[in-house]
Amino acid sequence: MSYDIDIKKVRRNCYRQSKVRGEFMLQIRVPGGVIDAKYLSFFQHIAETWGNGEFHLGVRQTISIPGIKYEYIDEVNKYIRPYIEEIEVNLCGVDMVVDDNGYPTIGARNIMACIGNRHCIKANIDTTDLARKIEKVIFPSDYHIKLNISGCPNDCAKAHVSDIGIIGITKTEYDYDRCIGCKKCVEACAHHATRVLSVEKGKIVKDSCCCVGCGECVLVCPTGAWTRNPKKFYRILIGGRTGKQTPRMGKIFLNWVTEDVVLGVLKNWEIFSAYVMNNKPEYIHGGHLIDRVGYNKFKEMILKDVKLNPEAMVAERVLWAETEYRSNFNVKPVTQR
Amino acid sequence: MGYCVSIKRMNEILKELQKEYKIYAPVRFEKRGRYSDTDLIRYAEINSIEDVVYDEKSDFSPKEVIYPITQALFYFTEYEYMESKIDDKKILIFARPCDINGFRRLDTIFLKNGGTEDIYYKRLREKVKFILMECKEGGWDSCFCVSMGSNKTDDYSLAVRFEDDNILVEIKDDEFTNLFGDEREVEFTPEFVTSNPTKVNIPEIDSYELLKKIYDLDMWKSYNSRCISCGACTAVCITCSCFTTLDVTYTENGKVGERRRVHASCMHEDFTIMAGGLSFRKTAGERMRFRTLHKIYDYKLRFKDEHMCVGCGRCDERCPELISFAATINRLYDEVKKLKKAETTKDIK
Repeated sequence: MSYDIDIKKVRRNCYRQSKVRGEFMLQIRVPGGVIDAKYLSFFQHIAETWGNGEFHLGVRQTISIPGIKYEYIDEVNKYIRPYIEEIEVNLCGVDMVVDDNGYPTIGARNIMACIGNRHCIKANIDTTDLARKIEKVIFPSDYHIKLNISGCPNDCAKAHVSDIGIIGITKTEYDYDRCIGCKKCVEACAHHATRVLSVEKGKIVKDSCCCVGCGECVLVCPTGAWTRNPKKFYRILIGGRTGKQTPRMGKIFLNWVTEDVVLGVLKNWEIFSAYVMNNKPEYIHGGHLIDRVGYNKFKEMILKDVKLNPEAMVAERVLWAETEYRSNFNVKPVTQR
Repeated sequence: MGYCVSIKRMNEILKELQKEYKIYAPVRFEKRGRYSDTDLIRYAEINSIEDVVYDEKSDFSPKEVIYPITQALFYFTEYEYMESKIDDKKILIFARPCDINGFRRLDTIFLKNGGTEDIYYKRLREKVKFILMECKEGGWDSCFCVSMGSNKTDDYSLAVRFEDDNILVEIKDDEFTNLFGDEREVEFTPEFVTSNPTKVNIPEIDSYELLKKIYDLDMWKSYNSRCISCGACTAVCITCSCFTTLDVTYTENGKVGERRRVHASCMHEDFTIMAGGLSFRKTAGERMRFRTLHKIYDYKLRFKDEHMCVGCGRCDERCPELISFAATINRLYDEVKKLKKAETTKDIK
């Protein structure tokens, strides 16, 4: 069969071109990677009715359904209308009109998150809840952003290789009288984290400069001398990415900020992106946008009208470390030595 | 004598009591639990009856009220010393039957163990009166108080049952009768748990030869990889009473300071390390063996009447590695049964 398809238009609708002519893979958003199990039968129906019967657990936690023929896209879009309504509008509170045309844009990618404190013993935050709040802020937008949320500095959700990475951290509090000086926290910190604890006169001293806020001290403390601060804190990383040319780790932008700051910063992302790209959305990683205008301009724009909490720390500058596949000019073939 | 007291009136009575008493009860510390967005329930002073967490088991026991985790014994300068002081007020503790029975074990350890009374324990213990709190039917999942015979007590001044709008109070101690004079009289005596979902069988260890065989059981080795020696079990135990003593000198003047005692745990690696580095219980399994036998063998051998463990089950609830002490006791019971059977078979041969 001969096809005449505007691939870009279809991709924007969240259908990815297949190597099989005329087939596409639908990427269904699952913000934060958690939804009710009842939707499994919904996905199954799509895969078995219009797809090739298989589904892929998308690397960005979409439910991806390959093998959908172009001519079925309208039918599938009609079928997923209630899903988009339930997840995007009802669950996440996204401000959008849902119609029979499927997803309006692929720009802001699905928000990835680890399981967070709904399950994980290490997590410091409810990543699912945060992902849903952020979905409301960033979607639907044609401007590209990949955003990953990890519940703790273990960073299982790879916040370090996303445009914006968010990590849940805890500002632990220490009760001097409840401490028995058993050193379990000192050992845990040295083993799992940054070795910021030591014992002095039978009690614990903390070098708070380098505490990564993981909460390992709380997990191991037998007496409850270390407890989590009921207030939640976050670290924001910027400019991480994968890719063929210059993959790199994201770097710390903000540390010890509150949820209000996280949401405030993300509200400015679209404005910043539009500024850098002259209002013409393109698929460019966030780190490149920051590089184009410089970190200081990024900082100025992204923190506009954001009220930083008193505990917040802001990076004065960012020292990027890239893997430069395009510019390893001193790595040469042996014949040219 | 029993009374039905409204929440409002109970708070007025508490206010009155607070003139003479510090009142302690299990209190919820929101989001202070081991895991994110979990609460911690431990003993603290209360200001209203609503502060009392009566429908859950507390993470920590009430022992810390009169046996503080960190306690200054005396302060010293170069030439003099001064004993630490305590608050003049008396102490009321909302406690479960198992905990009240647990305090009797602590009394034995601190006051009747050898010829010396521990004055730092005694001076606080003498101030204590108990308000018995009923447990929910059957207790909580990890409770095995019935197996340990610590599900009942009559050692209390007041007993309470929490109802939706009222509190039923039994008064056993005449000191408090006047406070409740205007309240509506009802028939009320507390009900005790008579059966738990968790049950333990205590092995009877009746000879030194058997004890030696128990020492060498393989079951202890399984804890070498399971137990992380964190001491959470002993920290929450109502009957664990070990402490270490240290002199802390103040930073500004190294000749001035305090002698304090701080809770210690037999589950920690350094518990048996002596000057010179000799250590008696090197593995987690050996330490688990010690704790188990201490709770259900040693103590009774020495003091006769009862085992040390009261079956509150807090150690089970609090263990981050999901080791159950009840299961450990039952495992030991099975092993002892096997050892005894093998012994009988040998005799016949």
